[in-house]
Amino acid sequence: MSLHPDVRLNLARSNVLLIDDNEQALEVLASIFRGFGVHRQVKCGSAADAQAVLRSREIDLIVCDTVMPDMDGYAFVRWLRREGPEEARFAPVIMLTGHAARSTIESSRDCGANFIVSKPFTPEVLLQRIYWVAKDERSMVRSDSYVGPDRRFRNIGPPLGVKGRRKDDLSAHIGIAKDPNMDQDEIDNLLKPQRAVL
Amino acid sequence: MSDAEIFKVRNRLANHVSEPGGMTAGMAGTRAARELAAQQGKSYEAIGEALETLEWLCQDKSAPMDSVYDLSTTVLDIAGLFDDKQLCRAAYSLCELADKLRTRGAADWAPIKIHVNGMRLIWNTPEASRESLNAMVEGLWSLTEHLSIEDGEPEAPAA
Repeated sequence: MSLHPDVRLNLARSNVLLIDDNEQALEVLASIFRGFGVHRQVKCGSAADAQAVLRSREIDLIVCDTVMPDMDGYAFVRWLRREGPEEARFAPVIMLTGHAARSTIESSRDCGANFIVSKPFTPEVLLQRIYWVAKDERSMVRSDSYVGPDRRFRNIGPPLGVKGRRKDDLSAHIGIAKDPNMDQDEIDNLLKPQRAVL
Repeated sequence: MSDAEIFKVRNRLANHVSEPGGMTAGMAGTRAARELAAQQGKSYEAIGEALETLEWLCQDKSAPMDSVYDLSTTVLDIAGLFDDKQLCRAAYSLCELADKLRTRGAADWAPIKIHVNGMRLIWNTPEASRESLNAMVEGLWSLTEHLSIEDGEPEAPAA
């Protein structure tokens, strides 16, 4: 299931923060985002650098690697959701994971990221996740043990422009009305009790 | 414990994405693939360097398992951006192995060396011929799983 190639999206004015301690991986990630048409991207080699950026710049999307020395990606998102600058605290976050070390499994589940993308992935998959994050209408939850997007499952169908896996999958998005509104007489007629003819 | 607070937040990304202009997903995918291709040379050099260091560690046999883990995640991190499935699967298996060994406070260089040799073989094999290495990659996973059984962990489900 991937994003329909005709779906149009504009990332030219989005401020994207990319975080990876691996210099080459960060360059590659930045090149993928250039391909997506993102002109405003900030690259950070550590969570500490990213924290400084978030205090001084407006960021619309954060893409973060999980395995980093000192503060890993999970701890960074946990900080962001609880103590991050007010403006950026609930910015959408996509985590990129390679290997999930035993010591991080619990923190990954509860860190509060919007989406987790496992490597290896193609640019198409990453673009689809960006689109989903942009269309994500989930509420945020703040509790003692968790701060982040509501994780309770609700079937609202596939996102607009994405074909579902089942043949009868329908999106919850209704779209703009095609016909004019019904007038009151028409509505009254629909509701009026009528004798049934058997 | 206090009650959970549920609230809506403004999503600026949603506003930007819907602005007029931009490009189609198909065009974005093509452009990203072109940008990726331009980065492939340097990236594969970095993978080569990580493999060389791993080979040296296998000879030296004195490095902590953290170093093996860090180098195998480097390979996984870069190869993962190029959708290099076989190399990623082999690197993931080495990550898992090094993670288990360091958790136990042990060092077992024989299975690490087998993994590094396998990754080198994948790296030297042209992409079109890599299908033939699937069985070898499965073998690496069997090695790592064998260690799990020794640990008393449940066996991983078949891929």
